[in-house]
Amino acid sequence: MTPMIKFDQVSKRYPGGFDALKNLSFQIDAGEMVFLAGHSGAGKSTLLKLVAGIDRATSGNVLVNGQNLSRLRASQLPYVRQHIGIVFQDHKILYDRSVFDNVVLPLDIIGFDRRDAARRVRAALDKVGLAGREKSMPVGLSGGEQQRLCIARAVVHRPAILLADEPSANLDRAYALDIMELFKSFHQVGVTVLISAHDETLMEDYGRRIIRLREGQFA
Amino acid sequence: MKHYLFLHAQSALLALKRTARAPIASLLNLAMLSLALSLPVALYLVVQGVQQWSGKIDVTPELTVFMEMASEPADIAAVASSLKQHPRVGQSTFVDKQQALAELEARSGVTGMAEGLDGNPLPDAFVVKPATLDAAELDRLQKEIAGLPMVAEVQFDAAWAQKLAGLISLGGQLTLLLGSAFALALVLVTHNTIRMQILARRDEIEISKLIGATDNFIRRPFLYHALWQGVLAALAAWGLSSWLIAAANPVLADFARLYNEQLALRGLTAGELAALTGLSALLAVSGARLATDHHLRQVRAH
Repeated sequence: MTPMIKFDQVSKRYPGGFDALKNLSFQIDAGEMVFLAGHSGAGKSTLLKLVAGIDRATSGNVLVNGQNLSRLRASQLPYVRQHIGIVFQDHKILYDRSVFDNVVLPLDIIGFDRRDAARRVRAALDKVGLAGREKSMPVGLSGGEQQRLCIARAVVHRPAILLADEPSANLDRAYALDIMELFKSFHQVGVTVLISAHDETLMEDYGRRIIRLREGQFA
Repeated sequence: MKHYLFLHAQSALLALKRTARAPIASLLNLAMLSLALSLPVALYLVVQGVQQWSGKIDVTPELTVFMEMASEPADIAAVASSLKQHPRVGQSTFVDKQQALAELEARSGVTGMAEGLDGNPLPDAFVVKPATLDAAELDRLQKEIAGLPMVAEVQFDAAWAQKLAGLISLGGQLTLLLGSAFALALVLVTHNTIRMQILARRDEIEISKLIGATDNFIRRPFLYHALWQGVLAALAAWGLSSWLIAAANPVLADFARLYNEQLALRGLTAGELAALTGLSALLAVSGARLATDHHLRQVRAH
Protein backbone atom coordinates (compact mmCIF):
# COMPACT_ATOMS: atom_id res chain seq x y z
CA MET A 1 0.00 0.00 0.00
CA THR A 2 1.17 3.52 -0.72
CA PRO A 3 1.46 5.77 2.29
CA MET A 4 -1.09 8.57 2.39
CA ILE A 5 0.48 10.16 5.46
CA LYS A 6 4.11 9.65 6.38
CA PHE A 7 6.04 11.20 9.28
CA ASP A 8 9.79 10.93 9.07
CA GLN A 9 11.58 11.91 12.31
CA VAL A 10 9.20 14.76 12.90
CA SER A 11 9.61 17.12 15.83
CA LYS A 12 7.55 20.16 16.70
CA ARG A 13 8.73 22.72 19.18
CA TYR A 14 6.45 25.64 19.94
CA PRO A 15 7.83 29.09 20.66
CA GLY A 16 8.82 29.12 24.30
CA GLY A 17 10.54 25.77 24.03
CA PHE A 18 7.64 23.36 24.53
CA ASP A 19 8.25 20.13 22.59
CA ALA A 20 4.84 18.96 21.38
CA LEU A 21 6.20 16.12 19.21
CA LYS A 22 9.56 14.41 19.58
CA ASN A 23 11.15 12.63 16.64
CA LEU A 24 8.04 10.77 15.45
CA SER A 25 8.12 8.37 12.49
CA PHE A 26 5.11 6.44 11.24
CA GLN A 27 2.98 6.02 8.17
CA ILE A 28 -0.70 5.64 7.39
CA ASP A 29 -1.68 3.89 4.19
CA ALA A 30 -4.22 5.18 1.73
CA GLY A 31 -7.70 4.09 2.77
CA GLU A 32 -6.63 3.17 6.30
CA MET A 33 -8.62 4.16 9.39
CA VAL A 34 -6.38 4.96 12.34
CA PHE A 35 -7.08 6.19 15.86
CA LEU A 36 -4.85 8.60 17.70
CA ALA A 37 -4.96 8.15 21.46
CA GLY A 38 -3.47 9.97 24.39
CA HIS A 39 -4.27 12.41 27.16
CA SER A 40 -4.74 16.04 26.38
CA GLY A 41 -1.36 17.63 25.83
CA ALA A 42 0.10 14.40 24.47
CA GLY A 43 0.48 15.95 21.01
CA LYS A 44 -2.62 14.63 19.21
CA SER A 45 -3.85 18.00 18.01
CA THR A 46 -0.36 19.05 17.00
CA LEU A 47 0.03 15.90 14.93
CA LEU A 48 -3.25 16.58 13.13
CA LYS A 49 -2.26 20.21 12.49
CA LEU A 50 1.00 19.06 10.92
CA VAL A 51 -0.90 16.71 8.60
CA ALA A 52 -3.21 19.55 7.56
CA GLY A 53 -0.33 21.96 7.07
CA ILE A 54 -1.83 24.32 9.65
CA ASP A 55 1.41 24.12 11.61
CA ARG A 56 4.81 23.20 10.23
CA ALA A 57 7.28 20.73 11.67
CA THR A 58 10.36 22.15 13.36
CA SER A 59 12.42 19.28 11.94
CA GLY A 60 11.80 16.14 9.92
CA ASN A 61 9.55 15.56 6.93
CA VAL A 62 5.77 15.37 6.79
CA LEU A 63 4.56 13.71 3.60
CA VAL A 64 0.88 13.94 2.72
CA ASN A 65 -0.48 12.40 -0.46
CA GLY A 66 3.03 12.31 -1.90
CA GLN A 67 3.85 15.93 -1.12
CA ASN A 68 6.50 16.93 1.36
CA LEU A 69 4.81 19.67 3.38
CA SER A 70 8.08 20.66 5.00
CA ARG A 71 9.38 21.72 1.61
CA LEU A 72 6.24 23.43 0.32
CA ARG A 73 6.01 27.18 0.29
CA ALA A 74 3.40 28.66 2.65
CA SER A 75 1.38 29.84 -0.34
CA GLN A 76 1.05 26.23 -1.53
CA LEU A 77 -0.31 24.85 1.75
CA PRO A 78 -3.94 25.91 1.10
CA TYR A 79 -4.04 23.60 -1.92
CA VAL A 80 -2.94 20.67 0.26
CA ARG A 81 -5.73 21.51 2.69
CA GLN A 82 -8.28 21.48 -0.12
CA HIS A 83 -7.80 17.70 -0.32
CA ILE A 84 -8.25 17.21 3.40
CA GLY A 85 -11.42 17.30 5.46
CA ILE A 86 -11.04 18.44 9.05
CA VAL A 87 -13.50 18.03 11.92
CA PHE A 88 -12.33 20.57 14.46
CA GLN A 89 -12.49 20.02 18.18
CA ASP A 90 -14.19 23.39 18.64
CA HIS A 91 -16.29 22.88 15.48
CA LYS A 92 -15.31 26.25 13.91
CA ILE A 93 -18.82 26.88 12.70
CA LEU A 94 -19.90 30.28 11.36
CA TYR A 95 -22.88 31.13 13.55
CA ASP A 96 -24.08 34.00 11.40
CA ARG A 97 -24.54 31.73 8.39
CA SER A 98 -27.08 29.06 7.65
CA VAL A 99 -26.28 25.36 7.75
CA PHE A 100 -26.14 25.35 3.96
CA ASP A 101 -23.74 28.29 3.79
CA ASN A 102 -21.47 26.65 6.35
CA VAL A 103 -21.28 23.39 4.46
CA VAL A 104 -20.86 24.98 1.03
CA LEU A 105 -17.76 26.94 2.12
CA PRO A 106 -15.15 24.31 1.05
CA LEU A 107 -16.84 24.05 -2.36
CA ASP A 108 -16.79 27.84 -2.74
CA ILE A 109 -13.10 27.80 -1.98
CA ILE A 110 -12.44 25.23 -4.68
CA GLY A 111 -14.67 27.23 -7.01
CA PHE A 112 -17.40 24.67 -7.49
CA ASP A 113 -20.31 25.40 -9.79
CA ARG A 114 -23.19 26.60 -7.62
CA ARG A 115 -25.78 24.09 -8.79
CA ASP A 116 -23.47 21.10 -8.39
CA ALA A 117 -22.42 22.54 -5.05
CA ALA A 118 -26.03 22.67 -3.82
CA ARG A 119 -26.47 19.03 -4.75
CA ARG A 120 -23.27 18.06 -2.96
CA VAL A 121 -24.25 20.01 0.15
CA ARG A 122 -27.64 18.29 0.33
CA ALA A 123 -25.99 14.91 -0.14
CA ALA A 124 -23.50 15.61 2.65
CA LEU A 125 -26.23 16.84 5.01
CA ASP A 126 -28.29 13.78 4.18
CA LYS A 127 -25.31 11.57 4.94
CA VAL A 128 -24.80 13.04 8.44
CA GLY A 129 -28.52 13.02 9.22
CA LEU A 130 -29.22 16.73 8.81
CA ALA A 131 -31.36 16.44 5.69
CA GLY A 132 -33.85 19.27 5.42
CA ARG A 133 -31.99 21.45 7.93
CA GLU A 134 -30.01 23.42 5.37
CA LYS A 135 -31.87 26.68 6.05
CA SER A 136 -31.51 26.42 9.84
CA MET A 137 -29.05 28.58 11.71
CA PRO A 138 -26.34 26.70 13.63
CA VAL A 139 -27.46 28.13 17.01
CA GLY A 140 -30.70 26.21 16.59
CA LEU A 141 -28.80 22.92 16.42
CA SER A 142 -27.94 20.72 19.40
CA GLY A 143 -24.32 19.99 20.26
CA GLY A 144 -24.45 16.67 18.45
CA GLU A 145 -26.06 18.24 15.40
CA GLN A 146 -23.38 20.91 15.30
CA GLN A 147 -20.83 18.13 15.33
CA ARG A 148 -22.58 16.55 12.36
CA LEU A 149 -22.67 19.89 10.57
CA CYS A 150 -18.92 20.08 11.03
CA ILE A 151 -18.54 16.56 9.61
CA ALA A 152 -20.73 17.42 6.61
CA ARG A 153 -18.48 20.41 5.89
CA ALA A 154 -15.40 18.21 6.22
CA VAL A 155 -16.58 15.67 3.64
CA VAL A 156 -18.60 17.80 1.19
CA HIS A 157 -15.63 18.26 -1.16
CA ARG A 158 -14.86 14.50 -1.01
CA PRO A 159 -11.38 14.75 0.45
CA ALA A 160 -8.84 11.95 0.27
CA ILE A 161 -8.06 12.38 3.96
CA LEU A 162 -10.44 12.99 6.84
CA LEU A 163 -9.00 14.28 10.12
CA ALA A 164 -11.11 14.48 13.27
CA ASP A 165 -9.86 16.07 16.47
CA GLU A 166 -11.71 14.61 19.48
CA PRO A 167 -15.01 14.27 17.64
CA SER A 168 -16.59 12.27 20.46
CA ALA A 169 -15.66 14.67 23.25
CA ASN A 170 -18.68 16.07 25.09
CA LEU A 171 -21.02 13.54 23.49
CA ASP A 172 -22.75 10.72 25.31
CA ARG A 173 -21.67 7.22 24.39
CA ALA A 174 -24.59 6.40 22.10
CA TYR A 175 -24.10 9.60 20.16
CA ALA A 176 -20.36 9.09 20.05
CA LEU A 177 -20.87 5.62 18.57
CA ASP A 178 -23.14 7.09 15.89
CA ILE A 179 -20.38 9.54 14.95
CA MET A 180 -17.80 6.74 14.84
CA GLU A 181 -20.07 4.73 12.53
CA LEU A 182 -20.24 7.74 10.31
CA PHE A 183 -16.44 7.94 10.08
CA LYS A 184 -16.34 4.20 9.40
CA SER A 185 -18.68 4.68 6.45
CA PHE A 186 -16.31 7.25 4.94
CA HIS A 187 -13.44 4.86 5.49
CA GLN A 188 -15.41 2.16 3.66
CA VAL A 189 -15.60 4.31 0.52
CA GLY A 190 -11.82 4.70 0.49
CA VAL A 191 -11.15 7.82 2.54
CA THR A 192 -8.08 7.75 4.77
CA VAL A 193 -9.40 8.52 8.24
CA LEU A 194 -7.42 9.71 11.26
CA ILE A 195 -9.38 10.25 14.47
CA SER A 196 -8.02 11.47 17.77
CA ALA A 197 -9.69 10.76 21.10
CA HIS A 198 -8.71 10.46 24.72
CA ASP A 199 -11.35 7.78 25.41
CA GLU A 200 -9.75 4.53 24.25
CA THR A 201 -12.69 2.27 25.09
CA LEU A 202 -14.52 3.66 22.08
CA MET A 203 -11.64 2.81 19.74
CA GLU A 204 -11.02 -0.67 20.96
CA ASP A 205 -14.46 -1.78 19.74
CA TYR A 206 -13.39 -1.09 16.19
CA GLY A 207 -10.24 -3.18 16.09
CA ARG A 208 -8.32 -0.57 14.12
CA ARG A 209 -4.74 0.51 14.50
CA ILE A 210 -4.25 2.87 17.42
CA ILE A 211 -1.34 5.29 17.60
CA ARG A 212 -0.80 6.07 21.28
CA LEU A 213 0.99 9.28 22.20
CA ARG A 214 2.41 10.42 25.50
CA GLU A 215 4.33 13.69 25.83
CA GLY A 216 4.96 13.83 22.11
CA GLN A 217 6.28 10.30 21.75
CA PHE A 218 4.81 6.89 21.10
CA ALA A 219 3.47 5.49 24.34
CA MET B 1 -9.14 30.26 -16.97
CA LYS B 2 -12.87 29.62 -16.79
CA HIS B 3 -12.46 28.58 -13.20
CA TYR B 4 -10.47 31.74 -12.50
CA LEU B 5 -13.16 33.93 -14.04
CA PHE B 6 -15.80 32.06 -12.08
CA LEU B 7 -14.00 32.75 -8.81
CA HIS B 8 -13.82 36.45 -9.70
CA ALA B 9 -17.47 36.64 -10.67
CA GLN B 10 -18.36 34.90 -7.43
CA SER B 11 -16.33 37.37 -5.35
CA ALA B 12 -17.73 40.35 -7.21
CA LEU B 13 -21.26 39.13 -6.61
CA LEU B 14 -20.57 38.34 -2.97
CA ALA B 15 -19.15 41.80 -2.43
CA LEU B 16 -22.21 43.38 -4.04
CA LYS B 17 -24.50 41.28 -1.84
CA ARG B 18 -22.61 42.36 1.26
CA THR B 19 -22.99 45.99 0.20
CA ALA B 20 -26.72 45.47 -0.26
CA ARG B 21 -27.03 43.61 3.04
CA ALA B 22 -25.85 46.64 5.03
CA PRO B 23 -27.65 49.41 3.10
CA ILE B 24 -27.37 52.17 5.72
CA ALA B 25 -23.66 51.69 6.34
CA SER B 26 -23.00 51.35 2.62
CA LEU B 27 -25.00 54.45 1.79
CA LEU B 28 -23.31 56.54 4.47
CA ASN B 29 -19.95 55.44 3.22
CA LEU B 30 -20.93 56.13 -0.35
CA ALA B 31 -22.27 59.58 0.55
CA MET B 32 -19.01 60.46 2.26
CA LEU B 33 -16.89 59.27 -0.65
CA SER B 34 -19.02 60.86 -3.34
CA LEU B 35 -19.15 64.20 -1.52
CA ALA B 36 -15.39 64.12 -1.17
CA LEU B 37 -15.03 63.37 -4.86
CA SER B 38 -17.62 65.87 -6.10
CA LEU B 39 -15.81 68.83 -4.55
CA PRO B 40 -12.69 68.67 -6.72
CA VAL B 41 -14.84 67.62 -9.67
CA ALA B 42 -17.04 70.71 -9.30
CA LEU B 43 -14.01 72.96 -8.94
CA TYR B 44 -12.48 71.35 -12.00
CA LEU B 45 -15.63 72.02 -14.00
CA VAL B 46 -15.78 75.65 -12.88
CA VAL B 47 -12.15 76.18 -13.89
CA GLN B 48 -12.81 74.44 -17.20
CA GLY B 49 -15.88 76.61 -17.85
CA VAL B 50 -14.14 79.87 -17.08
CA GLN B 51 -11.11 78.83 -19.08
CA GLN B 52 -13.24 77.96 -22.07
CA TRP B 53 -15.01 81.30 -21.87
CA SER B 54 -11.80 83.26 -21.46
CA GLY B 55 -10.28 81.33 -24.36
CA LYS B 56 -12.68 83.15 -26.64
CA ILE B 57 -11.23 86.47 -25.56
CA ASP B 58 -7.95 87.74 -26.92
CA VAL B 59 -5.67 87.75 -23.93
CA THR B 60 -2.64 89.24 -25.66
CA PRO B 61 -2.24 92.49 -23.82
CA GLU B 62 -2.66 95.73 -25.67
CA LEU B 63 -1.73 99.21 -24.64
CA THR B 64 -3.83 102.09 -25.87
CA VAL B 65 -1.89 105.33 -25.94
CA PHE B 66 -4.14 108.42 -25.95
CA MET B 67 -2.63 111.65 -27.11
CA GLU B 68 -3.47 115.06 -25.67
CA MET B 69 -6.35 116.73 -27.54
CA ALA B 70 -4.01 119.58 -28.39
CA SER B 71 -1.28 117.43 -29.89
CA GLU B 72 0.06 118.47 -33.27
CA PRO B 73 1.00 116.15 -36.16
CA ALA B 74 4.67 116.76 -35.24
CA ASP B 75 4.04 115.47 -31.70
CA ILE B 76 2.28 112.42 -33.11
CA ALA B 77 5.17 111.74 -35.47
CA ALA B 78 7.63 112.03 -32.57
CA VAL B 79 5.66 109.55 -30.47
CA ALA B 80 5.26 107.22 -33.45
CA SER B 81 9.00 107.13 -34.05
CA SER B 82 9.72 106.61 -30.32
CA LEU B 83 7.32 103.68 -30.29
CA LYS B 84 8.86 102.22 -33.43
CA GLN B 85 12.32 102.34 -31.90
CA HIS B 86 11.29 101.01 -28.50
CA PRO B 87 12.70 97.51 -27.97
CA ARG B 88 9.70 96.31 -26.00
CA VAL B 89 7.14 97.42 -28.55
CA GLY B 90 6.20 94.73 -31.03
CA GLN B 91 3.83 96.63 -33.20
CA SER B 92 2.13 99.98 -33.00
CA THR B 93 -0.81 101.23 -35.02
CA PHE B 94 -1.90 104.82 -35.21
CA VAL B 95 -5.65 105.44 -34.92
CA ASP B 96 -6.49 109.06 -35.72
CA LYS B 97 -9.52 110.75 -34.20
CA GLN B 98 -11.60 110.63 -37.43
CA GLN B 99 -10.95 106.96 -37.82
CA ALA B 100 -11.82 106.33 -34.18
CA LEU B 101 -15.06 108.23 -34.55
CA ALA B 102 -15.97 106.32 -37.70
CA GLU B 103 -15.33 103.07 -35.90
CA LEU B 104 -17.42 104.13 -32.94
CA GLU B 105 -20.28 105.15 -35.26
CA ALA B 106 -20.05 101.87 -37.11
CA ARG B 107 -20.05 99.89 -33.89
CA SER B 108 -22.92 101.74 -32.21
CA GLY B 109 -24.98 102.18 -35.40
CA VAL B 110 -25.41 105.88 -34.71
CA THR B 111 -24.31 108.23 -37.49
CA GLY B 112 -23.59 111.91 -37.28
CA MET B 113 -22.34 111.76 -33.73
CA ALA B 114 -19.90 114.59 -34.20
CA GLU B 115 -22.65 116.90 -35.44
CA GLY B 116 -24.60 116.42 -32.24
CA LEU B 117 -21.54 117.01 -30.21
CA ASP B 118 -19.23 119.93 -30.15
CA GLY B 119 -16.75 118.53 -32.66
CA ASN B 120 -14.96 115.18 -32.39
CA PRO B 121 -14.43 114.37 -28.69
CA LEU B 122 -12.06 111.52 -29.38
CA PRO B 123 -8.30 111.93 -29.17
CA ASP B 124 -5.72 110.51 -31.52
CA ALA B 125 -4.38 107.21 -30.27
CA PHE B 126 -1.89 104.45 -30.80
CA VAL B 127 -2.64 100.78 -30.25
CA VAL B 128 0.55 99.13 -29.07
CA LYS B 129 1.16 95.41 -29.02
CA PRO B 130 4.06 94.81 -26.69
CA ALA B 131 6.85 92.38 -27.54
CA THR B 132 6.75 90.96 -24.03
CA LEU B 133 4.13 89.27 -21.84
CA ASP B 134 6.00 89.67 -18.58
CA ALA B 135 3.90 91.66 -16.13
CA ALA B 136 6.79 93.71 -14.71
CA GLU B 137 8.10 94.57 -18.18
CA LEU B 138 4.63 95.58 -19.30
CA ASP B 139 4.32 97.79 -16.28
CA ARG B 140 7.60 99.50 -17.09
CA LEU B 141 6.63 99.89 -20.74
CA GLN B 142 3.37 101.52 -19.73
CA LYS B 143 5.21 104.01 -17.54
CA GLU B 144 7.80 104.77 -20.20
CA ILE B 145 5.20 105.45 -22.87
CA ALA B 146 3.19 107.57 -20.46
CA GLY B 147 6.34 109.68 -19.99
CA LEU B 148 6.57 110.60 -23.70
CA PRO B 149 5.66 114.22 -24.57
CA MET B 150 2.00 114.99 -25.33
CA VAL B 151 0.83 111.52 -24.25
CA ALA B 152 -2.28 111.96 -22.12
CA GLU B 153 -2.86 108.45 -20.88
CA VAL B 154 -1.81 104.86 -21.44
CA GLN B 155 -4.44 102.23 -20.84
CA PHE B 156 -3.51 98.65 -20.32
CA ASP B 157 -6.40 96.80 -21.95
CA ALA B 158 -5.57 93.26 -21.10
CA ALA B 159 -4.57 93.70 -17.48
CA TRP B 160 -7.79 92.08 -16.31
CA ALA B 161 -7.35 89.25 -18.80
CA GLN B 162 -3.92 88.61 -17.36
CA LYS B 163 -5.33 88.60 -13.88
CA LEU B 164 -8.03 86.21 -15.02
CA ALA B 165 -5.47 83.90 -16.57
CA GLY B 166 -3.59 83.95 -13.28
CA LEU B 167 -6.77 83.19 -11.41
CA ILE B 168 -7.57 80.29 -13.73
CA SER B 169 -4.13 78.82 -13.29
CA LEU B 170 -4.53 79.23 -9.53
CA GLY B 171 -7.90 77.48 -9.77
CA GLY B 172 -6.30 74.68 -11.75
CA GLN B 173 -3.59 74.24 -9.17
CA LEU B 174 -6.15 74.35 -6.39
CA THR B 175 -8.13 71.63 -8.15
CA LEU B 176 -5.05 69.49 -8.40
CA LEU B 177 -4.22 70.05 -4.74
CA LEU B 178 -7.78 69.44 -3.58
CA GLY B 179 -8.02 66.44 -5.88
CA SER B 180 -4.85 64.94 -4.44
CA ALA B 181 -6.04 65.53 -0.88
CA PHE B 182 -9.38 63.87 -1.58
CA ALA B 183 -7.71 61.05 -3.49
CA LEU B 184 -5.67 60.37 -0.37
CA ALA B 185 -8.86 60.58 1.69
CA LEU B 186 -10.47 58.03 -0.61
CA VAL B 187 -7.60 55.61 -0.06
CA LEU B 188 -7.74 56.11 3.70
CA VAL B 189 -11.52 55.80 3.91
CA THR B 190 -11.57 52.53 1.95
CA HIS B 191 -8.60 51.30 3.94
CA ASN B 192 -10.57 51.91 7.10
CA THR B 193 -13.80 50.42 5.74
CA ILE B 194 -12.05 47.25 4.67
CA ARG B 195 -10.14 47.06 7.94
CA MET B 196 -13.43 47.16 9.84
CA GLN B 197 -14.85 44.49 7.56
CA ILE B 198 -11.86 42.25 8.11
CA LEU B 199 -12.17 42.63 11.87
CA ALA B 200 -15.89 41.86 11.64
CA ARG B 201 -15.17 38.77 9.57
CA ARG B 202 -12.27 37.45 11.58
CA ASP B 203 -13.96 34.09 12.27
CA GLU B 204 -14.90 33.60 8.67
CA ILE B 205 -11.38 34.41 7.50
CA GLU B 206 -9.82 32.10 10.06
CA ILE B 207 -12.13 29.20 9.20
CA SER B 208 -11.72 29.75 5.48
CA LYS B 209 -7.94 29.64 5.90
CA LEU B 210 -8.25 26.44 7.93
CA ILE B 211 -10.20 24.65 5.24
CA GLY B 212 -7.94 25.58 2.39
CA ALA B 213 -8.72 29.11 1.25
CA THR B 214 -5.80 30.86 -0.43
CA ASP B 215 -4.95 34.44 0.47
CA ASN B 216 -6.29 35.52 -2.89
CA PHE B 217 -9.61 33.83 -2.23
CA ILE B 218 -9.94 35.66 1.07
CA ARG B 219 -8.73 38.97 -0.30
CA ARG B 220 -10.86 39.00 -3.43
CA PRO B 221 -14.29 39.87 -1.99
CA PHE B 222 -12.76 42.75 -0.03
CA LEU B 223 -11.05 44.12 -3.12
CA TYR B 224 -14.26 43.84 -5.09
CA HIS B 225 -16.15 45.55 -2.32
CA ALA B 226 -13.71 48.44 -2.60
CA LEU B 227 -13.99 48.39 -6.38
CA TRP B 228 -17.78 48.71 -6.24
CA GLN B 229 -17.46 51.44 -3.68
CA GLY B 230 -15.02 53.36 -5.86
CA VAL B 231 -17.14 53.01 -8.98
CA LEU B 232 -20.40 53.91 -7.23
CA ALA B 233 -18.76 56.88 -5.48
CA ALA B 234 -17.49 58.19 -8.83
CA LEU B 235 -20.94 57.82 -10.40
CA ALA B 236 -22.59 59.50 -7.42
CA ALA B 237 -20.02 62.32 -7.56
CA TRP B 238 -20.83 62.71 -11.25
CA GLY B 239 -24.54 62.96 -10.43
CA LEU B 240 -23.86 65.45 -7.67
CA SER B 241 -21.63 67.68 -9.78
CA SER B 242 -24.12 67.56 -12.66
CA TRP B 243 -26.85 68.67 -10.30
CA LEU B 244 -24.62 71.43 -8.92
CA ILE B 245 -23.90 72.70 -12.41
CA ALA B 246 -27.53 72.51 -13.46
CA ALA B 247 -28.37 74.60 -10.39
CA ALA B 248 -25.54 77.08 -10.92
CA ASN B 249 -25.88 77.64 -14.66
CA PRO B 250 -29.05 79.83 -14.70
CA VAL B 251 -27.59 82.07 -11.99
CA LEU B 252 -24.31 82.25 -13.84
CA ALA B 253 -26.05 83.03 -17.13
CA ASP B 254 -28.02 85.88 -15.53
CA PHE B 255 -24.84 87.31 -14.10
CA ALA B 256 -22.95 86.99 -17.38
CA ARG B 257 -25.77 88.64 -19.29
CA LEU B 258 -25.15 91.82 -17.32
CA TYR B 259 -21.77 91.98 -19.05
CA ASN B 260 -23.13 90.88 -22.40
CA GLU B 261 -21.27 87.62 -22.05
CA GLN B 262 -22.31 84.01 -22.23
CA LEU B 263 -20.94 81.80 -19.53
CA ALA B 264 -22.14 78.24 -19.00
CA LEU B 265 -20.46 75.38 -17.18
CA ARG B 266 -20.51 71.99 -18.83
CA GLY B 267 -20.80 68.63 -17.14
CA LEU B 268 -18.20 65.89 -17.28
CA THR B 269 -17.58 64.43 -20.71
CA ALA B 270 -17.78 60.68 -21.21
CA GLY B 271 -14.00 60.50 -21.26
CA GLU B 272 -13.66 62.50 -18.06
CA LEU B 273 -16.31 60.39 -16.35
CA ALA B 274 -14.49 57.23 -17.39
CA ALA B 275 -11.21 58.65 -16.09
CA LEU B 276 -12.85 59.70 -12.80
CA THR B 277 -14.44 56.27 -12.37
CA GLY B 278 -11.24 54.47 -13.20
CA LEU B 279 -9.18 56.62 -10.87
CA SER B 280 -11.67 56.32 -8.04
CA ALA B 281 -11.83 52.53 -8.45
CA LEU B 282 -8.06 52.28 -8.58
CA LEU B 283 -7.64 54.36 -5.42
CA ALA B 284 -10.30 52.42 -3.56
CA VAL B 285 -8.76 49.09 -4.51
CA SER B 286 -5.30 50.32 -3.47
CA GLY B 287 -6.69 51.31 -0.08
CA ALA B 288 -8.34 47.91 0.29
CA ARG B 289 -5.20 46.12 -0.82
CA LEU B 290 -3.17 47.94 1.85
CA ALA B 291 -5.75 46.99 4.46
CA THR B 292 -5.92 43.32 3.43
CA ASP B 293 -2.15 42.97 3.19
CA HIS B 294 -1.77 44.37 6.65
CA HIS B 295 -4.68 42.79 8.48
CA LEU B 296 -5.06 39.39 6.83
CA ARG B 297 -1.58 38.57 7.99
CA GLN B 298 -2.73 39.17 11.54
CA VAL B 299 -5.53 36.63 11.31
CA ARG B 300 -3.67 33.40 12.04
CA ALA B 301 -5.30 30.08 11.44
CA HIS B 302 -4.98 27.68 14.35
